[in-house]
This record gives sequence, C-alpha cells and structure tokens, in this order.
Amino acid sequence: MRISTLFGGAALALLLSACAPTAIDGGADEPNSEATGLDVQIHDGEFATIQQFTTPGGVSVWLVEEPSIPILSLRMAWQAGETTDPEGQEGLTNAMVYHMNEGAGDLEAQAFFKRMEELNMSFACGATNESTYCNASMLTDNVGDSFEMIALAFAEPRFDDGPFERFKREQEVSLQTRETNARYLASRARAAALYPDHAYARETSAESLAAITQDGMRAQKDKLMVQEGMLVTAVGAISPEELAPLIDQAVAGLPATSETSETEDVVLAAAAADPIVIDLPQPQSLVTFAAPAMKREDPDFYTAVVLNYTFGGGGFESRLMKDLRVEKGLTYGVYTQVSSEDKIQLWSGGGQTKNESAGEFIAGVKANMAQMVAEGMTEEELSAAKAYLTGSYPLGFDSNAKIAANMMGVRLDGLPVDFFDKRNAMVEAVTLEDVNRVAADYLNPDNFTFIIVGQPQGLDG
Amino acid sequence: MKYWISGGLIAMALTGGIALADSADSEWAPETFTLSNGMDVVVLPDHRAPVVTHMVWYKVGAVDEDPGKSGIAHLFEHVMFKETDDLEDGEFDSTISRLGGQHNAFTSWDYTAYYQRVAKQHLGKMMELEAERMTDLIIDEDPEGSFITERDVVREERRQRIDNNPGVILQEKVLAEFWEGHPYEITVIGRMEEVEALTPQDGIDFYQKYYSPENAILVVAGDVTGEEVRALAEQHYGAIEPSGLVDGTRMWTDVPPLTETQEIVHSDPKVRQPVWYRYYNGTSQKRDRDFALALDVGLDVLGGGNTSLLYVALVEEQKVAVNAGTFAWTGLHDNGPAVIYATPSPGVSMEELEAAVTAELAKQLAAGFSDADVVRVRNSKAASSIYARDSQQSMANQFGSWLAIGGEIEDLLTYPEDVRAVSTEDALAAARQVFAEGNHYIEALLLPEDGEL
Repeated sequence: MRISTLFGGAALALLLSACAPTAIDGGADEPNSEATGLDVQIHDGEFATIQQFTTPGGVSVWLVEEPSIPILSLRMAWQAGETTDPEGQEGLTNAMVYHMNEGAGDLEAQAFFKRMEELNMSFACGATNESTYCNASMLTDNVGDSFEMIALAFAEPRFDDGPFERFKREQEVSLQTRETNARYLASRARAAALYPDHAYARETSAESLAAITQDGMRAQKDKLMVQEGMLVTAVGAISPEELAPLIDQAVAGLPATSETSETEDVVLAAAAADPIVIDLPQPQSLVTFAAPAMKREDPDFYTAVVLNYTFGGGGFESRLMKDLRVEKGLTYGVYTQVSSEDKIQLWSGGGQTKNESAGEFIAGVKANMAQMVAEGMTEEELSAAKAYLTGSYPLGFDSNAKIAANMMGVRLDGLPVDFFDKRNAMVEAVTLEDVNRVAADYLNPDNFTFIIVGQPQGLDG
Repeated sequence: MKYWISGGLIAMALTGGIALADSADSEWAPETFTLSNGMDVVVLPDHRAPVVTHMVWYKVGAVDEDPGKSGIAHLFEHVMFKETDDLEDGEFDSTISRLGGQHNAFTSWDYTAYYQRVAKQHLGKMMELEAERMTDLIIDEDPEGSFITERDVVREERRQRIDNNPGVILQEKVLAEFWEGHPYEITVIGRMEEVEALTPQDGIDFYQKYYSPENAILVVAGDVTGEEVRALAEQHYGAIEPSGLVDGTRMWTDVPPLTETQEIVHSDPKVRQPVWYRYYNGTSQKRDRDFALALDVGLDVLGGGNTSLLYVALVEEQKVAVNAGTFAWTGLHDNGPAVIYATPSPGVSMEELEAAVTAELAKQLAAGFSDADVVRVRNSKAASSIYARDSQQSMANQFGSWLAIGGEIEDLLTYPEDVRAVSTEDALAAARQVFAEGNHYIEALLLPEDGEL
C-alpha cells in the first residue's frame, strides 16, 4: 500500500521512472507540471488502485483506471435523501429522481431516451432514506457526448407534464399492488411496531401524491443535488485529467450549496411480545424478525458481522440454514443480516415456509437464537466464518460496476480510502470471547419482533 | 484494448461521433479445447482481478425427464450438494466457503449448471470438488434421509417461486397450453404431486444416465490462461472415464404450433393490477438464428422499452396503459413464445385495453418501422456484448448456455455484426409474421378475485 501525491501526467512518468536506477530528482514539485492543476493522490490498495482528486470545480472523485474494457461506470451521490420530503409530500424525492432522465434542455423525454440509446449509455437516479444518487455507464468512445447528457439533465431537467402524469398513474397502481406485496406489508408492520413516529415510517399515500407538484420537484432537486458534498466514483478506461473536466461540465448547472436538516436517530420501541400477523391469502407465510443492532463505528460491529455469518448470514454454512432447511426441510431459504445505517441499526432476518409450519419455523429460529446466547460459537465456526468473510472479499472487485459501487458505499459511510485494505484485519481481530458476548447481548429471542405475512398456523406453541 | 491519446478529450468533444460498440475491442477471444474423455472446455480470460468463475454445464435438463418424473432434473441438482465418497454431507459447501468461494447451481429445460466463484489460486480445488461429485455422489436411500428432506425443500421452493405468486401461476397455466405435446409444457421445478413421489432410485438412475464427462462442458472465466486451465482440467477431469451411457440424444422436438385460439384467466385475491397477455408462436436462435435475431430486433422496435412504438402510443399518448410491450423467448433450444402484453391504467377496462392494444399493433405493423428505430435497437443489442464483458458470470453464462444447447462459439463472437445486419425489412417481416392476423394465440388475463377492476 502506498500513497503519494502526484501532479498531472508528468508525475505519472516520474512514478514509473522512480523504479529505474537512472531516476533523477525533479519534476514533481515544479509548478509548470501542473498544467491541469489536478492534485491526484494515488492509493495503491490491495483490491484496487484508487486515484483521489478534487476537480477544479470542487467535486471530490475516486477513480480506478481500468483500460481492458472500453466502458466507464460512474456513480454520483449526495448524503441526503427521501427523509427530507416535506411533511405531507411523502414521495417527493422519489418523484424528482424519476424525472431526472425524463427529458432535459430541448430534449423531451422521448428524445432524451432515444439519444441515450444512440450513445449506448445509461443514466438514472434514485434515492434512499439518507442518500440521493445517479448512476451512469457509457462506452469510453462516447464519454464526451454521454457527459453532455448528464450535464443537461443536471442543469435543465424538464419535469414535463407527460412524464409527471405517467409517474402519478404508476404510483396509483403501486399504492394498490403494495397492499398484497408480502415484503412491503412486513416492512410496514415492522416500522409500525418499532419506530411508528420516526420519519422512516412515513410513506407515500394518495394524499401525499396529490400534494406533489413540478415546482416542488424542482425545489427538491435544488435541495438534494448540489455541488457541495457531491461524491463521485468512477471505474473505466479514463484518466483523472480526462475525467475531471467532464465532471465539472456535468455539475456546472447544479446549485453550489443548500440547507438540509439531519434525520434524528431511530429509537426502537420494545420488541413485541407476540408475533404480529398480517393476513394475506397465499399458501406460504413470509416470516421476518428484527432486533436492535449497533452502529457502524461501534467496536463490536465486525464481531456482529462474524457472528451473523455463523448464525444466519452464511448461506448453507449458517446454523439456521443447516437446521431449518437441511435438517428439517422447512424452507427454501432463511437468512439474517446486520444492517448498520447511520440512523437505524437492525439485526434482522427472514424466510418463507408453508402456512402449516410457520409456528415450527419460528420456534426453530428462536431455539437457535437461545442456543447461540447460551453456548456461543465454537472455535471451528469462528475460524470458518473468518475464512469465508476474508477469502471472499476479492470477489467484490472483479468488475467495473462492482468497484464503483463498493467505493461509493465506502464514501457514503464516511470511511477512509484504505478501508478495503484494512477491513479483513478487522474481521481477523474478532475473538471468540467477543462473539459470545455480542451473541448474549443481541441475539436473545426476546429482543426480536416477529412479523408474519400469510395465513400462518401453529403460532400458539 | 484502447488507449487514450494526449488531448483525446478535446478531439472527441469536437468530432462528437457516435462510436460503434465493437470498434474498440476486437482482440479479445475465448479459448476452447476438448479433453480426451469428450468434456468440452471454454476459457474466457479476464485479468482485471485475481478471481475466477468455474462452471460445469451438463447437457441435461427438465426436457429429458421421463413421463411422471417431472422435477427430477432440478431435485437432482439439489442432491448434487450432498454426500460423496470423499465428502461428508455439508463438506462440499464448507470446503468452498472456507476458501472464500461462492457457489450455486441452476436448472433449465435445456441444461443444468453448477458454478463456483473463487480466488484464482483455488481453481484446481474447485475442479477436484466438481470431478468428485461427477463420479462419486452418494444418494441417500434412507426413507427419512437427505434425499427426502431435499424433496421437501424443493416443494417449499415451488411454493415460494410459483404458488405464492398469481402472475407466475398464470404463466405456468399458459405455458402448459402453449407447449402442449412438447416437454417444455411442464415447468422446470416439476408438478407438485410428481415431485412428491420422486424416489432415491429415480435420482440414482438420472445420475448414471447423464452425469459423465462426455455430457459436460467446462467454462472458466477470469484471471487464467488457456494453458493454465488445460493443465488443471487434464489433471482433475481428464482421468474420468466416459460412462458410455450418454448417446447425446436429447428430448428436444418440434414445438407443435397452436391450432386454436384460447383464453386463460387466473383470478386471485392478491391481484391488484390486472395484466393482459397474448402468447403467439415464436422461434429460437438455435433453430433459426437469422429469423430469431430479426424477431428480437423487430419486437424491440415494436415493444421493447419506453421508446418503443407500442409504449409511446399506448402509455404516453393514449394513456390507456401504464405499461405495454412485446418480447420473444428466443434463447431456448426449441421455439418459445412471442408475447404482447399490457397493464391497464386505473379505470380502463380489460376490453378497452385489448381493443386499444390490438388496434395499435395492427396500425404499427401496417405502417412499418423507420430505419432510425431499427438502427438504434440494433446498436443497443450489439453494445450489450461489450457491457456483458464487465461480468465474469454473465460471460460464463452466455457461453455455457449457448454451447449446452449445441450452439457454436462463433455465433456469440459475431453477434454484434450479425444483429447489425438485420435490415428494417427483416425486422418488420419477422414481427408481421408472428403477429399476423389470423394466427392463433393464447390470451391470458390476470384478474382480481371478483374479476372486477
């Protein structure tokens, strides 16, 4: 691992020549080598060589140069999202991001889509509770034209009547279909049980949709998509000197800055004593469960990751799969996960089983929890978990799209550029003592709220 | 491989030309060879990360099942993860997991495939494991043993994939009619009552008949060379004797064309958004590649996505639908359906929707396609070959699935130029042929329980 400060293309030559015995001192600090003014920090990491720089326009970029395929994967993100929807306008951010590729400048929606197809590029935006993002992919031969499309979308999105009416029709349908969608019903019941008054429990309704206007979307865009704090990651056949001006061109039409309020931390309610049942006429029940977890920066976070692998996160290597699927044939799949977001941290899981065996399934999950709390993990399980979690890590870096996404995940979490290199050591540092302490603290079945969607039987046991 | 020249950015901004998708990358090529026991090998180099995707494709699928034994190909795929001579139950998985590998398998009508994704230094171990279960699988004959438990797992899988989902239930009913008289008429996972009756002996018979090196294709994508793969493959697979039981006969057969038009309705209290479909006779790339490519282009112009003719007319202009389109299943060995579908806007009846869709279809087919639309669609399809290169797995799947149904590698390599050779007339003629007035079709309606909107 190595970090060095380079100045433009001349310094790249210096880096190479530094290996040669004839290397001479000179170049790196000369002001006239800064023709592009780009200060590039090279992080030569184990999984990717990341070039960090701030464009002349002030946008912070992480780039991995990958010349072997003529495509560029680009991610752009901002650290505020759907939670900023004004009260009574739930769905506003979702509406805004929907329209970001629905026409800009002189190009109406159809012309915009057709131009993207001609360029063989994709560009679309989305949002989560706490982030807004736009992803693009393009052929490197077409990057100039492709970035012009992004610039146009950022500067002059049209928010035309046609796409807006279509959006509302689609949402009207979605308000209907979600009422028989088992996963949606489970997540709504979870919010109602554990954080009914928090912003994360708010959802789009017919009334909130009716309150959304095109002017409101424009204002929301100006609030969420601004130059300040914008994060960019890119992987492809392009250099920092080539990428920087393209990004500056793309963001030129965005406001410099804006005010957004921070979301409050979720304070979870006490676990429900009995399973919550949502009736849905289908042969199989969806069983989900959730309990408090810890923050990402908590020293126990990686302990939880390791423990979760053995308990329910490790597919066929997990205790829940071995017991409920392999031994008992109760389900096609059961899983658990630790999701430590900035404002909400949950240890959750789920699986599907025929209605007749829902009670048996839940009893099995609880018995496995109780056993883990009482007896903890074995040394063998611990070493197996570490071996998988560390050994599989390189699999996340074998494509441009994955590397761009992983870098953005790290950036949104506020983690450092050497995170990828240090992560496996944090996994390795977990001890059996840690794991068993965290199991006792977090996996007590009484911590968990169980939610079942379907027509479950046998819950009395 | 493409290199940037100094000042390239400016030159590009000035010329503003649109590059053809394959203009930059003509050097890449797969390597292929065959082991002495008949096992075909394909190597798809990708040296970006020290990772490989290792796949073994067997030339057997649900199409080859005996009458009354539906689901055995898929259930057997599950059983392949169990005990072998050298591996205890669960050891196959734990061995791979402890090496940081990810693995799974899938079954289709036409093939069964197993794969592992792993750091490159473990490729040999993956081959050792696949070779072991190709030859030395132990099928548990205990009436309460792992074969039987796995049968229960598959029944849960069937509930999860099909029986819980009204749209999939309807599709199963429609395809049973569409492919009536052809092995595809039964869904891959099998009929619930037939799966329930499968026995360990069925598994043993299936294994002996189909799992053998001469019936398998090895695909390795990732950070390896052909030479490395050849050495490892000879070592791990090369010594396996061909069983001699595989005669290469598959149960593929001509798909009987529809002889009548019929309507199939599925109502379910969970349905909140009705959907309207028509299934017509289509084609397959394997049986008629030129026609299939023309049809794929034609149906994208007509109804592939939000710039297509039907979408623009029905969703954007008439606003009678929230979605509408056309597509064809051309990737199976035997002919699949060409489908037209639409979902009504709130307040639009199925009768109004059907009238609007059929009128628009007739109008667009009569008016013909513009060259601009056809060129745009062709180039998008050609570019997909470049974007596919970003994923080892999608590359391995593309090559493995095509070879497993008897396709030639050359077809995949020339796809960009072949799809660009589809003319406006070809694309239009293909669409007109499958949707011609007077053709029989199956109309399928997904409705709420009371049949009302």
